[in-house]
Amino acid sequence: MTLSLFDQFMSPTLLGVPLIGLALALPWVLFFQPGARWMNNRLVTLQAVFMNWFVKQIFQPMSLGGHKWAALLMSLMLFLITLNMLGLLPYTFTPTTQLSLNMAFAVPLWLATVIIGMRNQPTHALGHLLPEGTPTALIPVLIVIETISLFIRPLALGVRLTANLTAGHLLIQLIATAAFVLFPMMPSVAILTSILLFLLTLLEIAVAMIQAYVFVLLLSLYLQENV
Amino acid sequence: MGGHDAGSQHQFTGIAKYFNSYTIIGRRNCVLATYASIAAIVLFFKLKPKKQAAVTEK
Repeated sequence: MTLSLFDQFMSPTLLGVPLIGLALALPWVLFFQPGARWMNNRLVTLQAVFMNWFVKQIFQPMSLGGHKWAALLMSLMLFLITLNMLGLLPYTFTPTTQLSLNMAFAVPLWLATVIIGMRNQPTHALGHLLPEGTPTALIPVLIVIETISLFIRPLALGVRLTANLTAGHLLIQLIATAAFVLFPMMPSVAILTSILLFLLTLLEIAVAMIQAYVFVLLLSLYLQENV
Repeated sequence: MGGHDAGSQHQFTGIAKYFNSYTIIGRRNCVLATYASIAAIVLFFKLKPKKQAAVTEK
């Protein structure tokens, strides 16, 4: 069956049964489980080192009230980074190319930070909607602008991840198709295209990790403002 | 984000004591006043009685 350009983004089904649940559950089996021993094996230790480093990186500037989010943001980071990296393998489906999934992460978590801010420190949460030292004539305009930018945050979070991953995957498919089609006609151009494809794949590996990190970092920044 | 202004170096009098863009309380009050004004404008236009079109004879 010939695949069109956008088939890789279709939510997979098998005989009418949606497989997205399987695609989302797969990262769980790829992580190393710590054993009952005091000293674990190299892989578990490496994994723990990465997790500790990441948690310290994100939570060092945060006040103590936000530290209870550590498990949530750490697991979100691992989940996103695994889904993104697995999606770079050929013929795999990347769940994070689906806007619905990314918005399902972004909106509730952003809303949670806003509600926490409004509940615990309503004066500061509302006061932050007006930058300090604004000239009097500009006060209403800036309040409206800051409110709009507040509500745009979850949209930006979700769309940033979706667009980056979708664009990357599409580019890889287009350039790979071009290299494949050019090979019998102009092998030298096909080789140049293949080199470009190789460099693009390296870029996409970086983008996969960076986008997961940026998503979690921005959420931690929103939490920092409100906790 | 910038640190919170204690507002000690500003001596506001009159309405500026409650509505200014320097102290956190002043900023909060400005935000609430803006939201209340927008809500009032929206309510005014929603509740405004609509003029009945004049009935014309055939």
